Amino acid sequence: MSAEPLNLLVVDDSTAIRKILMRVLSQTGLPLGKVLEAGDGREALKLIESNDIALILSDINMPNMDGLELLRALRASEKWHDVPVVLITTEGAQEKVEEAVALGAASYVRKPFSADLLRDKLAALLTK
Amino acid sequence: MTPQATRIGIPIENAELAKMLFDAAQEVFTSMLGSEVHRLPDPPADQPSPFDGVLSLIGLAGAAIGNGTVVCTPEAACKMSSLLLMSEYPNVDDQVLDALGEIANMIIGGFKHLLEPHLGRLQMSIPSVIYGKNIATRNSKVPLALAVGCGFPGGECEVRIRLAAARE
Repeated sequence: MSAEPLNLLVVDDSTAIRKILMRVLSQTGLPLGKVLEAGDGREALKLIESNDIALILSDINMPNMDGLELLRALRASEKWHDVPVVLITTEGAQEKVEEAVALGAASYVRKPFSADLLRDKLAALLTK
Repeated sequence: MTPQATRIGIPIENAELAKMLFDAAQEVFTSMLGSEVHRLPDPPADQPSPFDGVLSLIGLAGAAIGNGTVVCTPEAACKMSSLLLMSEYPNVDDQVLDALGEIANMIIGGFKHLLEPHLGRLQMSIPSVIYGKNIATRNSKVPLALAVGCGFPGGECEVRIRLAAARE
């Protein structure tokens, strides 16, 4: 496991869900650096430009730029194409999950989620 | 009086739809709020009289059209938000309204997830949350109305759906 503090980015238009995700991340036991928050994909891209992000946890359905558009923008980028992105979906819509996987999402989680399951999933991704 | 869903082109009995609605709520209470929940006697399916409280609404479209709502008192909204966010919320504020929107989003999303294998693909709107006094709602042209009551330690809420089969 890397001892370097990991900077993470949480992207969700709901402050409630951001707060829950921040809490889950704080309980992974991993050496976290900054945990940044964005309300949509556009805000996320701005933060990614100025921070070295190890993993992005993003909602799919958001205004302005949704999670799939964010993922598409990252995969098309030379610099950030390999940043792992975990997508979160409320609807569990199969077509969106398939699109997320095709675009290279590291994983996806359906809300409501078990904090333990999400924590384990994130810890596994961050210790790869 | 609400008709049987099967009579308006939705191939599931009302009792099974109501069970799906409660199951979706139970999953959210258990997973996200860390709370037990039990089913209360079903409230009247028709629109409630004007009430004071919080109403969180999600629109549905696709194989069926209509909406789902979570309705509760301000006190219950604060309690549910406190459970979800693990912080005390003595009054309804922006965070409570945001939390209630997200709770409704997850409950109606779970219901959609259970319904889609029977009905076909559905889409959900983003939540709209209304907080106030003398709230009255009306749904025209949406014949099927179902409601389930959910009791949890410290409060209760109602989860409602109104559905019509989509026209060709």
